[in-house]
Amino acid sequence: MDLGVLAQYIMNGLMLGMMYALVAVGFTLFFGVLDIIKFSHGDVVTVGAFAALATFVSLRSAGIVSSPLLLLVMVTVALVAMAALGMLIARYLVLPLRTAPALNTLLITLMLGTVLRESVRLFYPQGANPKPFPALLPSSSINIGQFNLRLDNAIMLAAGVLVIVGLQFLLNRTKLGLAIRAVAQDEETARTMGINFTAIVLVTFAIGSALAAFAGIMNGLYYNEINFGMGLYLGVIGFAAAIIGGLGSIYGAILGGFLFAALQTIGAVALPFASAYKDVFAFTVIIMFMAWRPTGLIQEKISERV
Amino acid sequence: MTGRLDIDNVTTAYDKADVLDGVSLTIEPGRITCLLGSNGSGKTTLIRSILGLTPPRAGRIVFDGADITALPTHKVIAAGIACIPEGRKVFPKLSVEENLRLGAYQEPSEDVTQERMTEIYRLFPRLRERRMQLAGTMSGGEQAMVSIGRGLMRAPKLLLIDEPSLGLSPLFVKENFNIIRQIKERGITVFLVEQNVHQTLAIADYGFVLSKGKVVMQGTADELSKTKEVHEAYFG
Repeated sequence: MDLGVLAQYIMNGLMLGMMYALVAVGFTLFFGVLDIIKFSHGDVVTVGAFAALATFVSLRSAGIVSSPLLLLVMVTVALVAMAALGMLIARYLVLPLRTAPALNTLLITLMLGTVLRESVRLFYPQGANPKPFPALLPSSSINIGQFNLRLDNAIMLAAGVLVIVGLQFLLNRTKLGLAIRAVAQDEETARTMGINFTAIVLVTFAIGSALAAFAGIMNGLYYNEINFGMGLYLGVIGFAAAIIGGLGSIYGAILGGFLFAALQTIGAVALPFASAYKDVFAFTVIIMFMAWRPTGLIQEKISERV
Repeated sequence: MTGRLDIDNVTTAYDKADVLDGVSLTIEPGRITCLLGSNGSGKTTLIRSILGLTPPRAGRIVFDGADITALPTHKVIAAGIACIPEGRKVFPKLSVEENLRLGAYQEPSEDVTQERMTEIYRLFPRLRERRMQLAGTMSGGEQAMVSIGRGLMRAPKLLLIDEPSLGLSPLFVKENFNIIRQIKERGITVFLVEQNVHQTLAIADYGFVLSKGKVVMQGTADELSKTKEVHEAYFG
């Protein structure tokens, strides 16, 4: 295989890895602060992408044609709307179930995911069909040897890196981030430090859900198409990525996302005659990995020294 | 002088072994008040009730004249109470400095936070040396320093200290009691929950004895150390 094609595969893998990582980070954040798995997370990705598309459609019908402006408003609306949705889910579905067994939370968020997915299918105009997503980023490209670097991909990748760097800064360098990490380690002691636990949970769900919206828009811009089932697929992969990374670890989730994309890419390259099987290949490797290391790459809950 | 806590007829069910059954006691400002009692007598449940971690079923808790009975924990802390919890409870994957910062979580001024941190480092020079180390990798004694420092970062009016000597070496236990005495000298009211009767009564001003969820005895430290029942209960 020549280098240009290989570079193309790597670029594709990086794009997918970035989306998976952004979804996986949400799973790991929610697990960190509340020790729960929120299964509706993938469908928040879908709702985020459709919220962006609806914003686009209404802005266009209002006569706005500037691509950067459209994109800016779409991203803002989708992120804010999903942050609000995440907080609502936390406040009215997840927090009231705190004293119930964890399985109940899992079940209720699984059902919520179905409700979100079916709502998009039924209530969005022609929601059952795949929807074209506007290509709003410059589509010019640079040829580096045989490798064709598309500008829109480069911009998306850079934006994703910025988001992750920003998240790292928020978690590691701000007072809010310190509070989130404290709650994740020891909820009760964090409360006795004067941290408002409920507020921190809501903020965490807002952050995770906004990241999901970002991933949804990225997905739409990359494939130029979205559909009501996209989040289910991204959710399962994001969940798997968070588990491989060691649930609760941010770095692990990011690593897990890129690892899964790498497996898919390897699957596609190594099995050119059967590239449709790349997901089968990737998930098989993940299953074997889980059997080998059940706690994931980065073990989060370390035993305390007495 | 502030830091007065009135506990009035408080009943709390935490778990079956550790309940409060109509406990009334008063912590006077500027003093070290101690609470003695064996395991399961309700000591930890009382601390949890004050902090709002396990809200009482009945009764009232009043701090400097304000009712704090039904408040969520962060509002109890905002009223001017801090806690050095049983088992130290440092955040194991946060650095020493981050642990201390969390103690001053409700302090909006970075300057004040820095000032207090400098003071804590003066009190525990070892923590300055290790300020970037993860608290979970430190020895028990060092973790106790982090936990005490974190409680002081709040600059509380009332400091609740739950079983500070549990699991520490005798040398450090002695140092711990010296530090508690110094805390009082700073004008902070101390409520000390302990099993180590002898050393506790040596530094306390006043004490209560809790048994099966009820206050069975109270008095000045001198009176309590002369009481036959306390001796029998603890020294056999």
